[in-house]
Amino acid sequence: MLKVENLNAGYGSVNILWDVSMELNDGEVVAVLGSNGAGKTTMVRAITGMIRPTSGSIVFNGEELCKKPSRYILDAGIVQVPEGRQLFTEMTVLENLQMGAFSKETKEHFQENLEKCYKWFPKLEERAKQAAGTLSGGEQQMVAVARALIGMPKLLILDEPSLGLAPNIVDDILNVAKTLAKESNISVLLVEQDITKALAAADRGYVIENGHVALSGTADELAANEHVKKAYLGI
Amino acid sequence: MDVLLQAIVNGILLGGFYALMGMGQNIIFGVMKIVNFCHGEMLMVGMYLTYMLYTYAGIDPYLALPLVAIIMFLLGAVIQHTLITPSLKTKSFTNLLFLTVGLGLLLSNGALVLFGSDYKSIRTSYSQTNIMLGPVSVALPKLISFLVLIVVTIALFTFLKYSTTGKQIRAVSQNPVGAEVCGINVRRIYLLTYGLGVALAGIAGCLLTQFYSIYPTAGASFGFRALIVVVVGGLGSIPGAFFAGILLGLLEQMSALFISPSYSDMIVFITFIVILVVRQLLIMRRK
Repeated sequence: MLKVENLNAGYGSVNILWDVSMELNDGEVVAVLGSNGAGKTTMVRAITGMIRPTSGSIVFNGEELCKKPSRYILDAGIVQVPEGRQLFTEMTVLENLQMGAFSKETKEHFQENLEKCYKWFPKLEERAKQAAGTLSGGEQQMVAVARALIGMPKLLILDEPSLGLAPNIVDDILNVAKTLAKESNISVLLVEQDITKALAAADRGYVIENGHVALSGTADELAANEHVKKAYLGI
Repeated sequence: MDVLLQAIVNGILLGGFYALMGMGQNIIFGVMKIVNFCHGEMLMVGMYLTYMLYTYAGIDPYLALPLVAIIMFLLGAVIQHTLITPSLKTKSFTNLLFLTVGLGLLLSNGALVLFGSDYKSIRTSYSQTNIMLGPVSVALPKLISFLVLIVVTIALFTFLKYSTTGKQIRAVSQNPVGAEVCGINVRRIYLLTYGLGVALAGIAGCLLTQFYSIYPTAGASFGFRALIVVVVGGLGSIPGAFFAGILLGLLEQMSALFISPSYSDMIVFITFIVILVVRQLLIMRRK
């Protein structure tokens, strides 16, 4: 459903992504792995239109999305849970979730999607009237994921969901992502530094180093790869 | 006693204008993190606009109020679109400082060229009407202005709290990146915010024309006081700005009564400095 080819992107005159190509199928969880500064977030920003790629192509369900504005890409069904969550901390949990409904369609289905989100994350229903900034880190990450799900994604991009969270909460969130992919046929692009957890949740993965795709393969292949073991898993 | 009561009432009524100005400044600062240094001049433009509508079209200042608000909103939106949004991209505070200060100079000097430096005023049939509230006599226009202020404050608060656009404005002010992720059109919100802020200044200007002289630098002292209101009332808080404005008006009238009217400006600013210093000390102690 998503096919990225020879994507180049960066900030100003600094190019960060070099000819990145990757593919993602319906209902698949694909991990994008790499260390800090490898270009993972830049890739997310390029795919979601928050920065303008310098060249390349991003085809999503047969439509070319490269260089389209972020709102257009959102309407096409690519919704991200950004790095650092980016919640509206002084607004309530419910208001945060309301902000996730950006289009006419998502507004119409808001109530049923809200109930679904409450089913995924029962904590959020208890905390609905609380300011998002007063929640724990894990709960805030749940709000961020729920806010994206309110946007009825066809492709959900999770950017560093493990950042600053306790391991068991990361497992919870990755489990939700995995279940979503299998049951609701939402594809998930999982961008992670925590490679062990990411590979456990993903079907396939790409390893990015210095803005290039260094390796790709199924999750098992990557977990068994000597380079991955040495460079990332410390085995 | 009656004198004190009279001063309190006058202070509250005057404070209403500071509150209106402060709310406009506050919403602009909250969303874009820029200080609108031409906020006082926008009030002045609102005054002249009301003056022209009254003198040339014979429209009563209170009937002109919605019209002035709409024209000022459009003026603000145009300024935002053509000048401020492009300079926001440079992410340079000095750029925007020069831009808004320069815009203020342009507006006040433009008014000087167009209308001259003499004081203009609007005298309607009810300008001089006074109403007795117990022992206190209140000018009717001031009372009406205060009622308008209350309505505007409640409307603004409700708009920001409950409407979708109001929530989007708050969202952008709290987290612009998160707002973009949610598909909120940040540029449109900037446009609305600046228009709204300028419209509030215009409303204050329109209401002021009944008992305040109209001249090219009439807005300056209100512009400065708007900054004080924002700092004292808390950033982004509409009720905070409302009460800070009223307090400021009260302080001014009290110092005029007990010390001397000629010192009231000085006392206002000294109090402001004291508040800043005390707050800084408190913050440092908390750390």
